Amino acid sequence: MSQAPVIETRDLTICFGGHIAVNSLNLKVEPFCLKSIIGPNGAGKTTLFNLISGQYAPTAGQVLFNGKDITKMGVAKRTNLGIGRSFQLTNIFPSLTVLENVRLALQAKENIGMVFWKHYKDYPELEEKAYELLKQVLLHDKYLSRANLLTHGEQRKLEIAILLALDPEVLLLDEPTAGMSLEDVPAILELIREIKSLKNRTILLVEHKFDMIMALSDSIAVLKEGRIICDDTPDAVSNNEKVLEAYLGGGVKNE
Amino acid sequence: MTKRLTLEEQNKSNTKAMVNNPIVYLQAGVIVIFAVMPFIFPSFRLMDVMAKIMIFTIVVASFDLLLGYTGILSFAHGMFFGIGAYCVALILYHTSAPAWYHIIFAIIVSLVISIGLSLVISFFSLRVKAIFFAMLTLALAEFAHILGIQWTSLTGGEDGISFVLPSIFNFNQSLGTLFNTRINGRLIVYYLILVCTILLFAGLLRFIRSPLGRVLKSIRENEPRAVALGYKTFGYQIYSIVFSSCVASLGGILFSMWLCYVNPDSVFHTAIMVNILLMVLIGGMGTLYGSMIGSAFLIITENWLPGLLKSIASLAPENIIVRNMADRWQLYFGILFVLVVIFFPKGVIGTIRSILDRKQQMK
Repeated sequence: MSQAPVIETRDLTICFGGHIAVNSLNLKVEPFCLKSIIGPNGAGKTTLFNLISGQYAPTAGQVLFNGKDITKMGVAKRTNLGIGRSFQLTNIFPSLTVLENVRLALQAKENIGMVFWKHYKDYPELEEKAYELLKQVLLHDKYLSRANLLTHGEQRKLEIAILLALDPEVLLLDEPTAGMSLEDVPAILELIREIKSLKNRTILLVEHKFDMIMALSDSIAVLKEGRIICDDTPDAVSNNEKVLEAYLGGGVKNE
Repeated sequence: MTKRLTLEEQNKSNTKAMVNNPIVYLQAGVIVIFAVMPFIFPSFRLMDVMAKIMIFTIVVASFDLLLGYTGILSFAHGMFFGIGAYCVALILYHTSAPAWYHIIFAIIVSLVISIGLSLVISFFSLRVKAIFFAMLTLALAEFAHILGIQWTSLTGGEDGISFVLPSIFNFNQSLGTLFNTRINGRLIVYYLILVCTILLFAGLLRFIRSPLGRVLKSIRENEPRAVALGYKTFGYQIYSIVFSSCVASLGGILFSMWLCYVNPDSVFHTAIMVNILLMVLIGGMGTLYGSMIGSAFLIITENWLPGLLKSIASLAPENIIVRNMADRWQLYFGILFVLVVIFFPKGVIGTIRSILDRKQQMK
């Protein structure tokens, strides 16, 4: 707990009409750890992500990145700062090729998007790097097919490759394995584990697969009705009575 | 099985494929046809149609950059075409002894005006979404049209202005004959249009294939995701609007130079804008090459359909119904357009591409 948090929220609140989705939430994420956020449906997990990555502007409260107030900053700027985001609902460029999807992310990182006098193929290193990233998520065989022709699981993998291409300091993974076929899940888990073991990125993870969270996380925050009811190590969380009551509903550990 | 190739192998085979690419030969073929036509069929009518096809190819392609690649529907595009046309006309008309550098001057002036106006438009209106933006630009275009009619001391009002081109472009000047064709200013302007079309079209192609063009494409595909990659979409859209407006005004300059005459209705009228829109739709949005098909289709039917119908009608000169039906050539044009839309829902090039695409996927 000694290090300064990478991501910090202070009394973060957002209301949609009368509904308070996130309610004066205080969260601290230490650098280079993997923090999971769990909670029942509608607890505000994805909303919290949207607030951190900038899709939503909060009604009240602040978001801090490395101690800097980024509450008023737009999505693009936050991404440039180093907050990368994957989405729960697959969010890719459907009619571009798989390689191009990743290449665009790399190009954003390289900051050459304003170049209009050169051919995009004049940067072969970007394509090579994109190909390497696709290898990491085991998609390199399909790099030429259009992204919307991939299976759902493959699109999830692509989403992760895009995120890695951004080379962010903080990764926000919103249910990376949702809707993936069972045989695909271990590869993604392995990838997340690998990223974590490099100890140079902070990962925020929303997931429903409880055993997966237990094995991966350094700490877990439990959300209920827009508030954090418990923020502790995996062991402590799984024995916390409030959590068991609110979320696990009495011993249902595996979905 | 191209799919199993690794990136490296693919890149190698791409270089090989360039040599055997039918598109390259097609492009060269089209250019050659346009280049030799004035010598093979020295008819003014044909040359006029071909020059207009070339000019509108550029204007439509630049509009496609806006509509098809950036997803912005702007009705002010015709206005930039008009600005170019009027710039060269006014400058050559109001100078006592026009020389070639007055054309350069006109180009600079029209580019400056276009850049300024397109910046204003983008700052004004990209804040509001789609339909409101379209309406705003329509209002602006109509304003330019009215200005052209009302400001008679400058523009000559509805009568328009006719002017004379300087030095070698002068239509009355003959530079001798070649293959039985008289080399005059008009022929030189024709080739100027050809060269400019090739250069501008190549410029547009490079633009859409540049890193910037790829970003524009990604914005059109999925704007929130493009933003989440760190692209500030607003800036990219400004680039696109400015670039395409400049190309459109250059097209206007060529148009004006070809006719040596401009009036508000011929360049600022909403009908011009609608024609440009139709050409993009016929050729295929977001294909760029579609602009050639679209403008060729529209200009050829506009020029020859009335004549064709008249000659059909002359087969039965006594029949009033036939004669009346032949007079309404726009009716048939409308039917033709509907047929194109039915059989080529994504425009000619767009539909052909998606058929080829499907075949590729079947492999």
